[in-house]
Amino acid sequence: MFSVLRGSYEKTILQDKKELLLALTRSAPGENGDVEAWLEEARKTYPALHLLYVRGIPGVDEIQEFSLDAELKALWQARQEDKAFKTGIEAASYLETFVMPDAVRLGSGESLLIFSPVLNAEGDTARGIVVAAVDETVLTSFNNLTYALSLIAFFVFALGFGIATFSRDPPTGYAILVLFSIVLLFVAYPLFTAVRLTFVQEGRFSLAIWKDILTNRQYLGALAGSIQLGALTATLSTIIGFLFAFFVSRTSMRGKKLVTALATLPVISPPFSLTLSIILLFGNNGLITKGLLGLENFTIYGLGGLGLVQTISMFPIAFLTLAGVLDAIDSTLEDASLDLNASRWETFMRVTLPLTMPGILSAWLLVFTNSLADFANPLLLSGSFRVLSVESYIEVTGMNRLGNGAALSILLLLPTLTAFFVQRAWVAKKSFVVVTGKPSGRLSDLASKPMRIFLLVFVVLTSLFIVSLYGTIVAGCFVKNWGIDYTFTTANIVEALQRGREAMISTMTLAGIATPIAGFIAMIGAVLVVRKQFPGKRLLEALMMTPFAVPGTLIGIAYILAFNEPPFLLVGTGAILVICYVIRELPVGLEGGVATLRQIDPSIEEAASDLGADQATVFRTVILPLIRPAFISSMSYTFVRSMTAVSAIIFLISARWYHITIQIYNFSENIRFGLASVLATALIFIVLAVFGLMRVIVKKSEHLEKTVTVQ
Amino acid sequence: MDQISVPVNLEQVSKIFRDPKTKSDVHAVREAQLEIGGGELVTLLGPSGCGKTTMLRMIGGFELPTRGRIRIGGEDVTFLPPNARATATVFQSYGLFPHLDVFDNVAYGLRVRKIAAPQIETRVMEALDLVGLKALARRAPGRLSGGQQQRVALARSLVVRPQVLLLDEPLSNLDALLREQMRVEIRRIQKTLGITAVYVTHDRVEAMSLSDRVVVMKEGVIQQVGPPSTIYERPDSQFVAGFVGKVAFFPVEVANTTAAGPVACTLDGKPVMAGSVAPGVGKKAMLMARPESLRLGNPGEGACDGTVSTNVYLGSSVESFVATEYGEILVQIDDPSMSRVRAEGSRISISFDETRVRLLPVAG
Ligand SMILES: Nc1ncnc2c1ncn2[C@@H]1O[C@H](COP(=O)(O)OP(=O)(O)O)[C@@H](O)[C@H]1O
Ligand SMILES: [Mg+2]
Repeated sequence: MFSVLRGSYEKTILQDKKELLLALTRSAPGENGDVEAWLEEARKTYPALHLLYVRGIPGVDEIQEFSLDAELKALWQARQEDKAFKTGIEAASYLETFVMPDAVRLGSGESLLIFSPVLNAEGDTARGIVVAAVDETVLTSFNNLTYALSLIAFFVFALGFGIATFSRDPPTGYAILVLFSIVLLFVAYPLFTAVRLTFVQEGRFSLAIWKDILTNRQYLGALAGSIQLGALTATLSTIIGFLFAFFVSRTSMRGKKLVTALATLPVISPPFSLTLSIILLFGNNGLITKGLLGLENFTIYGLGGLGLVQTISMFPIAFLTLAGVLDAIDSTLEDASLDLNASRWETFMRVTLPLTMPGILSAWLLVFTNSLADFANPLLLSGSFRVLSVESYIEVTGMNRLGNGAALSILLLLPTLTAFFVQRAWVAKKSFVVVTGKPSGRLSDLASKPMRIFLLVFVVLTSLFIVSLYGTIVAGCFVKNWGIDYTFTTANIVEALQRGREAMISTMTLAGIATPIAGFIAMIGAVLVVRKQFPGKRLLEALMMTPFAVPGTLIGIAYILAFNEPPFLLVGTGAILVICYVIRELPVGLEGGVATLRQIDPSIEEAASDLGADQATVFRTVILPLIRPAFISSMSYTFVRSMTAVSAIIFLISARWYHITIQIYNFSENIRFGLASVLATALIFIVLAVFGLMRVIVKKSEHLEKTVTVQ
Repeated sequence: MDQISVPVNLEQVSKIFRDPKTKSDVHAVREAQLEIGGGELVTLLGPSGCGKTTMLRMIGGFELPTRGRIRIGGEDVTFLPPNARATATVFQSYGLFPHLDVFDNVAYGLRVRKIAAPQIETRVMEALDLVGLKALARRAPGRLSGGQQQRVALARSLVVRPQVLLLDEPLSNLDALLREQMRVEIRRIQKTLGITAVYVTHDRVEAMSLSDRVVVMKEGVIQQVGPPSTIYERPDSQFVAGFVGKVAFFPVEVANTTAAGPVACTLDGKPVMAGSVAPGVGKKAMLMARPESLRLGNPGEGACDGTVSTNVYLGSSVESFVATEYGEILVQIDDPSMSRVRAEGSRISISFDETRVRLLPVAG
């Protein structure tokens, strides 16, 4: 672990030096030039660099040494015959730069020697060698940091190993060990690498990137944009979500099931699909904007359009949260209030609303963080409006500034963390929801008649709008050239399936591989969290939950940084996508497993163990069958989320391993909306099919849950 | 089903939990020293939270002792996991596998042991027969009554032929009638099999009626170990006396000791006699009296005077509550012929059956 960290770090620094040296040697004088003057010049520009100029290749030519540094010259003369020196000389004669693996003592400190060739005028033969000594102390201070971190990692490993070897329960020990290795390697290490990168400039510790980020108006604009968008979306979503929740939970109108189903549809719909239909309807060539209204200067791209799309995609989150809260409030409280002669409005204001308040704030924060982390919608729809997630993507892919990209993504984490802590500190404390079991039968309608009509109209219109958005996507599949030529065609389907086939297959393959892995890791993690006591449990839990809070863009950037060289050369492989899916969906699976396990009486597992089953057998024969519902839903969730992933994987895909959502994005970018619609529709059907299948399977095992009673 | 009876020994066993909230240590069990003979049924009795379950779980291997050793049949099992011990536990909540039917529940331990299928069949049916559930072999546990679930749990533990049977309040989820029935059942099966058993309960009647010996615990410390009759009649402390039965205490002073026989004491100057060894002349002691060792007489006749406040008629006996200067004292009148029961409100005196009242050290 340590050598890997150190290796990758040194490589970054030395890469800089090597390039600098190459540039320097290119300016070095040829056979008869004034070497002394060149050395003087170089010293002025790079005082930290000690240089030795060797004219001629030792062993081949007559040689002549020049240096302003007597010590370096002496060292060279003394150790010219050493093996490492010979290798360096040989490398230089083959026109390569070479870094001596071990530091040498020079003056008061340790230095690394870099050998670099001096080329002839044609640039095809080495005429001499420049040896540069680079002070290694720069490296050491960073090494110390890396070293400390590695020590911690090693310590944890040793601990796990100890548990495995000496405990009464080795399978648990191994599970802990494996999970720790996974999260350290695939959560902690990449994130650490990304954070570290933001503090390094030209191989030295530097705050330059952060200074840039926090003063550059463009970046600050993106930050403001993200927050603005988040606040807008969260507010609209909470209002709509509350109205829906109130309709479902507090009125006795029919069609609630249908409303709930429609309202939750956007949560599971693939990225780009709603954006796509918004563009089809309201875009520059939109059916409504241009076709029906003939607007010329209207643009959907920007804050307004984004707010609209995000609200539709995210109000279901608020709806589900608030419906849960409203359902948990015993409606007899409201009946009591009505009974005490309060009017419906007074009852709502004095009883229902205050009791729901923590839930409302929760919902708001939840949508807010979701909006900030959202990448797919702004990618297509932000126009000139800037948000952080897209900004960091552009920094990385467009400008090749990984450090800035990482820093922007980290910036994105701050509002999320703030929201999280507000949630913890305030909402949790204020939460006085009176949970008295099931609502005890609805006695009176809390809404007055005009209110009911308003609710009904609102809910129906919103639902119709959602339905029409999906209808638009389907329609988009069969239109020749949306906005221009609305002739019916099936050519899109043929072309999209042809061009998207490989991406579709590779996406399904990789998601299919990730699914069982994520499921098992999540369930084993849940067992460890709920049932086992071991040192480092909190840390393990925190690391497993981390990807939940970390924006996808940051994970993507962190992965390219961490896994682009041996031994973790994963960039470009399918494995990195699989790992990314698994890691990103781990928190949700874990939560599900934990919630289910908490409902299962621990003595069931103890009984199995008591009857002679070892830990692995207990897991296989008792725990797994009992948490099957959580296991299956975690797996289908992982599959769907992996198929519909965008933000992290957009950094990680390769020509070989492409992703269906990125294909949709590319089609949309190239204004091939027909093709994009076909793929989006296909994806929607896959998602629906997977969730449908899950429901059928889970229902079959439902009798299980009922018998699992806690005494 | 023949079993070998093995002893269980606890040697200075302590268990300290760390309370995750307050970060303080909880001494669940303190230096417990206990020898359980082969084939013996021992109950752990004590108020809730006194460490009974913890002690049982350490024997079963579910908790590691903080200090001390546990031996089963002489073998040190302190660090063995549950699946490597010859113990079988009947859990308070039964812990039946909800995804398996009755037969498969009982067969689980045998399957884990890789026993051949035909043999599993016979042994499971034998075990179900023992608890009278042969007919319900294919039922899901969720569709059984509490008592039936309890029997399945028992059969499941017995079928693996454990050397030690551990039961943690196995009857606490049953109603009173069923509880009595199952109590007899468990005792019968345990006797038939000759299996060593440790039984946790907080119900003194259960402990008394079931066990060869009772271990009374308080705050993690073993207070007294002995057969039920000893625990009831000759408790070592006020706590044990009070926990295992109704009792009244009178503060007395030892007046005179002889080598054998009752000790002369004074209760507020009045002479009384009591059994047991006395702590020495002039020392303070507590005189312990069970309701059945007290008699009612006319005022001035007995050791202390009082007024009958309530009579509770119980059929075979009457319980008279008498208000005295030592508090409300319960007197049991075994033959409730009206002549011996005093009317409520009448002044009476209480006298002791000197062979049955005992001296105890004053609780510190
Ligand atoms: N896993 C645990 N963690 C912390 N404290 C515990 C744990 N199990 C038991 N205790 C504490 O140990 C004491 C004894 O508990 P227990 O053995 O369950 O008592 P009993 O079975 O006699 O009611 C109690 O104070 C209880 O709170
Ligand atoms: Mg207990």
